[in-house]
Amino acid sequence: MESTRVRTAGLLLVWAGVAAILLMHWMVVFWVPTEAAQGVVQRIFYVHVPGAWTTFLAFGIVALASAAYLWLEDERADAAAVAAAEGGLIFGAIMLISGPLWGRVAWGTYWTWEPRLTLTLLLWFTYLGYFLVRGSVADPRRGKRFAAVVAIVGSLNIPLIHVSVSWFRSLHPGPVVIKPEGPTLHPDMLTTLLVSLAGFTMVFLGLFAFRYSIELAARRQARAEDAALAGGLA
Amino acid sequence: MTELRWTWLIARKDLNLEFRAGGRLLSMIAFVVLAGFLFGFALDKGQVPGRAVVASLTWLTVLFASTAGAGRIFDTEEEDGAFRHVLLTPVSRRAVFLGKTVANLALTWLITALSFIALTSFLGVRTSGSLAAHAAIFLPGTIGLSATATFFGRMSRHSNLGDSLLPVLTFPLLAPLVFFGATASARVFMALPWDEISSLVRLLWAFAIGSVAVGAVLFHHVTDE
Repeated sequence: MESTRVRTAGLLLVWAGVAAILLMHWMVVFWVPTEAAQGVVQRIFYVHVPGAWTTFLAFGIVALASAAYLWLEDERADAAAVAAAEGGLIFGAIMLISGPLWGRVAWGTYWTWEPRLTLTLLLWFTYLGYFLVRGSVADPRRGKRFAAVVAIVGSLNIPLIHVSVSWFRSLHPGPVVIKPEGPTLHPDMLTTLLVSLAGFTMVFLGLFAFRYSIELAARRQARAEDAALAGGLA
Repeated sequence: MTELRWTWLIARKDLNLEFRAGGRLLSMIAFVVLAGFLFGFALDKGQVPGRAVVASLTWLTVLFASTAGAGRIFDTEEEDGAFRHVLLTPVSRRAVFLGKTVANLALTWLITALSFIALTSFLGVRTSGSLAAHAAIFLPGTIGLSATATFFGRMSRHSNLGDSLLPVLTFPLLAPLVFFGATASARVFMALPWDEISSLVRLLWAFAIGSVAVGAVLFHHVTDE
């Protein structure tokens, strides 16, 4: 019953998020002003930045849920970590594809080995390793514990990515919204970005809730089958 | 018995095992010498001067050799079940991790020195900057490398992907360390002033301290049998 409610809430969030993303696309095409220096290509910003935000949100949830799993050994924490990690990989792929497309026009190259790009790619690979560890350890309980450790260690990269723009010489633009003096973005651009951020966040949270409830249901089913098998053998 | 003494005993035991058996050590030594030879052979020094690449190649050789060897530090004990007995002793998991990291570090220093000699010789880099400056860069770099490889080496022992899992887990985490280390070493080869190197060495120390601390705190999660 509880998992049905979570699944319904997830679906509602996904649809609300899709609606916000459709609105964002309308704003990007018909409403928001064109950036003076970069021209039309700057509009990738409204997909790239929310993609990055959602990725870091997802990997942050994976790290917190993994810490909770190591501490409490609660299956729900591990299920939440898996659900968030899958979302993080998907939204991370959106960020890692949209970034080079923008960079090709803005910097003249798809990829440059500058700190933020490199660290973000490495973060994505670390969470790919998260799934490899889970799947490759014969004892599932040990696999979950190892994966949780990988998630926590990998998350230490997230603050480094955030500060890398100011710590190192970087081609990547610095923050334009969260700044001590306030956002330096044109108000219409800021509105479009906020709509996109809301849309991406809702889609992620909806998929997360949906996937989490499926994961829990699958584990309940597996436990029931194990119990039935044990009962039959007894 | 203090934690430090346990750490030293574990490290001494592992080093004794290593020097008596010798297989891993010999293969690591052969690897770095052959890698140096192959890099020297394959590189067109007319197009790419050895000085321009020697720092990066040394760091990469150390990374590959130590990652390939790190997981092996658990192998001998794992094969005959002795590691379970180590865990049953009153030694803390932290001391086990630190002891094994120290043992790996000693071997990593050996292969770092050999890589440095092999690559500078085979690439024909004669003026190699101040040796003390190189050592000041490799010291924190190898500590971070050994701690990370020891920690994940334990994890890969339980994986059916075996040794192929270790690079997947460690390389993304060690990439910043290799970048800082190779950049700092290259600057020493270019005889740049220490002021232009010290910030990178501070980052290497931060990585080293962080990786040892994280490993010591989380190691019991990868050793609970």
